Amino acid sequence: MMNLRKEFTTLSITLMAIGIGINLAVGTIVLRLGLPLYLDSIGTVLVGALVGPWAGAATGFLSNLVWTLTGLFPQAFAWAGVAAIIGALAGVFARSGWFNTVGKAALAGIITGILSAVLSAPIATYVFGGVVGAGTDALVAAFRAAGLDALLSNVAQGTFSDPLDKLVTFLIVWSLLLALPAREKARFGNLPVAAGRPLQGKTRRPAGKKTAAKKAAKKSTRRR
Amino acid sequence: MRGGSIYIERTSGLHRLHPLTKVALTALCFASAAALPSLAWLLALFVGLLLPLAIWGRLTAAFLKSCLLVVGPFVISLTIIQGFFSGGETVLFRLGRFAFTQEGLLAGLTFAARLLVALGGTLLLMQSTPQAQLMQALTERGFPPRLAYVVLTAIQIFPSFQDRAQVIIDAQQARGLELQSGLLSRVRLLLPMVGPLILGSVMDVSERAMALEARAFSSPAPKTSLHSLADSPSQRILRWLLVLAAAALLAWRLWSALQ
Repeated sequence: MMNLRKEFTTLSITLMAIGIGINLAVGTIVLRLGLPLYLDSIGTVLVGALVGPWAGAATGFLSNLVWTLTGLFPQAFAWAGVAAIIGALAGVFARSGWFNTVGKAALAGIITGILSAVLSAPIATYVFGGVVGAGTDALVAAFRAAGLDALLSNVAQGTFSDPLDKLVTFLIVWSLLLALPAREKARFGNLPVAAGRPLQGKTRRPAGKKTAAKKAAKKSTRRR
Repeated sequence: MRGGSIYIERTSGLHRLHPLTKVALTALCFASAAALPSLAWLLALFVGLLLPLAIWGRLTAAFLKSCLLVVGPFVISLTIIQGFFSGGETVLFRLGRFAFTQEGLLAGLTFAARLLVALGGTLLLMQSTPQAQLMQALTERGFPPRLAYVVLTAIQIFPSFQDRAQVIIDAQQARGLELQSGLLSRVRLLLPMVGPLILGSVMDVSERAMALEARAFSSPAPKTSLHSLADSPSQRILRWLLVLAAAALLAWRLWSALQ
């Protein structure tokens, strides 16, 4: 419970609001790009990684509440618990140093994806009659046609799309953590010191006139 | 969809109700969606309760349109999946070795009607209640004010994020980024598009936090609100009746399931 208080400072509260905004904004960009992913939990995973499991869980839960409140996707609240668990997992993985290397971050994403598929399937099956009202329902139909029962078809559909979605999400967050100045990361204090160590020349940094200065600042804090 | 709200401003009795009264109404919709036994009952509730409320709130067209947009995809998926795979005697038509049955169609439509009642109740609440009022009402009843702040801020900054995302998309397109390219290259485009958006906003966090601190955000002293919500004794009674009705419906359903 000590951690619970520590994770809800004014600074992290502000980050949580931004994280939810990121979830919504990126969710809509992905729709525009026409990708077969959701990527609606980048903000949740980012907050979980930077601040900790409690803040990640709150961000996931409130994100789905906001999807409902805005009326953009009113059924989202049914999955608020799953979203909370995704955020909490991101916090735990980050704290144990799983965001230090790209391989571990990818693995963490896949594990989170499988878990979210297994947890989401009963909700889709029993609350929504086995569908989610989206293109992925074609997959559910295909699995039903292959002879699986209602719950298993939804689990199968989930394990088809969720691990890929969370893998991409975790890799994006991993690369964002690389690009984020150490000063910003240290403010929240969930990541171990080595996390997001820059791999020289391997990630694309957003171009900007401040980039060089930030790079220098990052190096100096790291070597202190 | 642009913006972060489906609230529609009207002067009506429905809009003037205390937010919690409307929340209790939505709770009744959820209980009915779970408990009512048949398609006819569910549709009767929609036509007999939700639709008159929407008319009272002068939201009829907008309400029906949102219901169609949200529940429409479910109707399609549910009739196909339940129609083909939930079994039954009366075969309506066959597709290869799969039979589309009347019982399955009915099961699919019943499920869709449950979603219509539950999501319709939610949509009506959100179309007739400003989000700030809803969160204020919840905060007055013990919802953590810091989390209410998170929710409201997220809703408010969403449109500005959308604008920022549009600027980034335009800028990258001006540099030769193609939105109509292959799938793999679009995945690769993701990072240069969402990267600047996210990094920029995370860098703003400390500034926002300082602005909040300067306005006594974390002060433990009791805070007063600029706006007050109108409530009345009759609404308080109505709320209790609605909650009781919802509980009774669920209890009745549980009891008949155990029989």
